[in-house]
Amino acid sequence: MSRWGMVIDLDKCTGCQECTIACKEENNIPHGSPDEQIKRQDPYWHKVIAASEGEYPTAKTELVPMPCMHCDNPPCAMVCPCKATFKRHDGIVTQNFRRCIGCKYCMVACPYGARAYNYKEQEDLPYNRMDPPLRRDLIGFWPFPHRAHGMVEKCTFCFHRIEKAIMEGKEIGTEVVPACVEACPAHARVFGDLDDPESEVAKLLSNRTSIVLREGMGTRPKVHYLTK
Amino acid sequence: MELNFVSVEGNSKNYKIAAGVLAGLFLLGLICYGISYYKGHYLFGSSNVIPWGMPIVLTIYFIGLSAGSLILSTLVYVFGQEKYKPIGRMAVLLAIALIFGALIGIAIDLGRPENFWRLFMFFYLNNMTSMFAINGILYSGYFIISIAYLGIILSGNKLWMKRWGCLAIGWAAMVHMGTGAIFGFMEAREAWFTPIKPLEFLTAAVTSGVALLIVVLVLTMKFTGRDLRKDMVTSLSRLLTVFICVLTLLIFLDKITHLYAPERAAVMYSLTGQYAWVFWVLQIGLVVVLPLAILFNKKLKTIKWIFIAALSVVVGVFFERFFLVIPQAAFPQQYYPGHIEGVYGAVGRFTFTPVEMLISLGIFTMVGLLFLLGLKFLKALPEKTAEEVAAAAAKAAPPKIEEAVKADASAGTADAPPADNKPAQ
Repeated sequence: MSRWGMVIDLDKCTGCQECTIACKEENNIPHGSPDEQIKRQDPYWHKVIAASEGEYPTAKTELVPMPCMHCDNPPCAMVCPCKATFKRHDGIVTQNFRRCIGCKYCMVACPYGARAYNYKEQEDLPYNRMDPPLRRDLIGFWPFPHRAHGMVEKCTFCFHRIEKAIMEGKEIGTEVVPACVEACPAHARVFGDLDDPESEVAKLLSNRTSIVLREGMGTRPKVHYLTK
Repeated sequence: MELNFVSVEGNSKNYKIAAGVLAGLFLLGLICYGISYYKGHYLFGSSNVIPWGMPIVLTIYFIGLSAGSLILSTLVYVFGQEKYKPIGRMAVLLAIALIFGALIGIAIDLGRPENFWRLFMFFYLNNMTSMFAINGILYSGYFIISIAYLGIILSGNKLWMKRWGCLAIGWAAMVHMGTGAIFGFMEAREAWFTPIKPLEFLTAAVTSGVALLIVVLVLTMKFTGRDLRKDMVTSLSRLLTVFICVLTLLIFLDKITHLYAPERAAVMYSLTGQYAWVFWVLQIGLVVVLPLAILFNKKLKTIKWIFIAALSVVVGVFFERFFLVIPQAAFPQQYYPGHIEGVYGAVGRFTFTPVEMLISLGIFTMVGLLFLLGLKFLKALPEKTAEEVAAAAAKAAPPKIEEAVKADASAGTADAPPADNKPAQ
């Protein structure tokens, strides 16, 4: 069974935020005003944070792109009262919007701030991609074309792409990748199967020093970072 | 001592004004809720940093008060403390009104309240590892148990009163410890994460429960023209002193554990940061310093001062909840070592929006309205003694027309046969 994961090279990342924008476009995440962004009411599935350390002459800043970590031991799925957030068989943590009651408990439990609440009714824009018409019998409940306010959303590793690729027999990790990986101009992100020793992610992880964020939380994230 | 209970008549001008004002504010809150449901939660002050706002503050506050006053009512019906008997029924009535307010508060905070039923599909559609689902069992069970408890008390079956009271006290304690666990088990929120939280919540619940009982007791007795027995208030105030001391100890332990551990940034922020005054002035000042200063002072052992101390505890516990839910959640999480720049490292902002405030006021007034209606339609108040009736008559002696009518009305309540009087409609 495949176990999807992502490797992000912090050495290559330039902090251009292309991944954030690509994610917004791909998943039709609502846009917000600057004011809403400062108030943190603007939903983002992906963010790039800048962590600085030290004083002026020796200061250094690290840019860290943060999608959902898709933990092997997800605290958000643990606390969801309605089974709306769950871990799939292939390790992707995703959620069923129909079940979400909007209690925001997962936002409290997530140590990575990966979850965003939909604060207002959004314009119902079509997805910005050339999709075949939706066939629910094949793809299940996702993509959810209409989102309502009052629900918590998060990154899905673009699993609609993965499932389509599996149906079409394409290779995942090289031919088909999530939108943020595809958009990265510096090729800092790699997507693939962590359990497959031949995949690029597994090779990178075995060759280079890697870290995960907030390891002490015991969440075992599937997004790994290659250090500088 | 045989004690009979009556309902208030509910025809006086004061009662009608109070009920009318409460109903009006409740309607206003209802309209605001409709707007927020239609427009979305951006009308609230909460954000992705501070996910929960005033409705959750009110919910845990009300659950605490409710559990506290139910636990106290069992002093009468389980532990046989006869001196508290006059307030036993009122405490249970208050507990029901408050838990109803708390459930409404939860429903209001949900983004998709039409899916509220999904919280109650235990073991079938629910994920039972969630503290919310476990608390769903506790809250709904508590609601049913306390209503049945009131029914048993009103029916006057002594044996079942005792049995059901035992169940109610245990369940009420679990309800509030479960509420504490919602916050205390969240490792991601550093300032909340402590095993003491459930116990701290339970103690705060009982403390605020005693304080609220004193407040409601004094107010109700005063406005319905009944004589207040001082020994009851002073013995309640002694209980209050003990609970405040235990609560102080638990708060101290909670903070010192966090401060001693190397990862202390979040708690340091909450104790010294920009909202620290909420903790030091409104929580510690109102819950601990002011009441203890009054209660330990021998000269201030009057009903008026005890009332002030109790009121200060009731208000202070509200700010304890507020401080827990809003300022303590505001500290940004440490995703990566170092100082995180920009909005993701900034302390969360919470704005008090009019819609949220009016909704909160609406929940408050709904609880008050339920309590008033309960006083009218259930026999919750102790019957007036002959001296009180005489005093009321003496008070009305200068024959002004309205006052005489009022005195007549209240005397009528007291004269009604105690066992089988129907509440006047």
